[in-house]
Amino acid sequence: MIACLLIPGFELRAALRKQPGLALRPAALSPVAGTEPLIGPVTAQAERLGVRPGMRLGEALATSPELVLVEQDPAAAEQAWEDILRALEDSGFSVEPAGVGSVYFETRGVERLYGGLEPALKRALAAVGTAWDPRAGAAQRRFAALAAANVARPGQILVVSDERLSDFLAPLPLELVPMEPRRRAELHELGVKRVGQLAGLPGGAVAERLGPDGRRAWGLARGGKSSRVRGRRPPAEIVEALEFPEAIGNELTLRRAFGALVETLMARPERGARFVRKLALSARLVGGGSWRRSATLRDPTTELDRIKAALGPKLAELPAPVVELRLELVELTEHDGEQLELLPAAGGEVDVRLREGLRQVRASTGSGSVNQVVEVAPWSRIPEARALFVPRDD
Amino acid sequence: MVAHPGSARVVRAAGRLNEPRAAVVEARVDGTPTRVNRLPVELVREEWRVVDRWWTEEPVSRRYFEVVLQSGENAVVFRDEERSCWFTQRGA
Repeated sequence: MIACLLIPGFELRAALRKQPGLALRPAALSPVAGTEPLIGPVTAQAERLGVRPGMRLGEALATSPELVLVEQDPAAAEQAWEDILRALEDSGFSVEPAGVGSVYFETRGVERLYGGLEPALKRALAAVGTAWDPRAGAAQRRFAALAAANVARPGQILVVSDERLSDFLAPLPLELVPMEPRRRAELHELGVKRVGQLAGLPGGAVAERLGPDGRRAWGLARGGKSSRVRGRRPPAEIVEALEFPEAIGNELTLRRAFGALVETLMARPERGARFVRKLALSARLVGGGSWRRSATLRDPTTELDRIKAALGPKLAELPAPVVELRLELVELTEHDGEQLELLPAAGGEVDVRLREGLRQVRASTGSGSVNQVVEVAPWSRIPEARALFVPRDD
Repeated sequence: MVAHPGSARVVRAAGRLNEPRAAVVEARVDGTPTRVNRLPVELVREEWRVVDRWWTEEPVSRRYFEVVLQSGENAVVFRDEERSCWFTQRGA
């Protein structure tokens, strides 16, 4: 069986962990800066007052003037989600995440471990914890498992057998089927509002009228394919963070700090000889929010300049001054052959001697004794604002 | 339960280079220093002011002196006019 574990409104729940009092008040996740002003998930209290996720901000505030907008905290959400995935993996589930708040796993391998399907799903819910209100669905097909998890109540398990599948899906709202909003609106105009109504239409006619997206939705409405779940490779998680003595908003300063982070992170012994495939850069913003961007490199590399070139430009997208900058190696690959130099580069020997000297200083004086000076605002009239020293343990 | 391997998070605190250090300074009525950390001042070589960040909640208003002490040592001291106290500083 394929199981789906779902935590609706995960980003809002993660953002509310810092201000739990808001969970009982009408609150909604504020729109992302620079995008269409549509609100994200909402609390139960806000829903009771008529506010719906995806509503226009103005409309939501007009519907409920006391609505509190909660700032997005993508780094906190990502971290909380990673902790949940790790808790599931620690319990023996090989997980395939499908975005933040939704994860699939195959139950066949763990059913014998926990004594059946339901005990295994209960174990998965317990691993996540009741604070997140997770719900689980299981079926032979992926979409059916997702639909079951959507219908289940918090802490509930819903198992749908293949024989009951079409009866189960038929009365569910069409919103459960992922498709372009334009296609959904078109179907609504045609009076198709339930999954069963869409499944009952002839496939060829749906494809002709709604195109490939509609054809895919039609396939899902009939239960979808029984594709296999592919467990992820747990991330490497080598993280380096830099806390600033004061909030930094200057891009040049941030680029220099980022450069120092890349050098320190790449020199960490945990990386070994592995190459970097995916990295993530996140920041804690002044005022409490956070920001996160990740980059997957076309070719795995250990070249500092390539890594800097891949993530450095994203610093320009920071919406506010930063109090902490964090860089993580998300995915590492094994060494797959490298052309060595015929002659060592000029200055190579000096570099080796310098590293050896620094290693000896560190060995005698302890961790944190060797620092790198990073110029942050050399033009400043205040001497202590011109440069920072960043500890180096490589 | 087995902990995940390879989890290695390090948070380092960056420090400021040339952070001011509190100093014991005796000064004349006009504000020029006569003794720095109990050492007499031989000569005041230069004097300047730094006024910055007045638009923030942490304004900077300093009166700097570059002095030569009787021991022959060069030093830079400033009076923080916001907090009314003296500091020495390198790299000024």
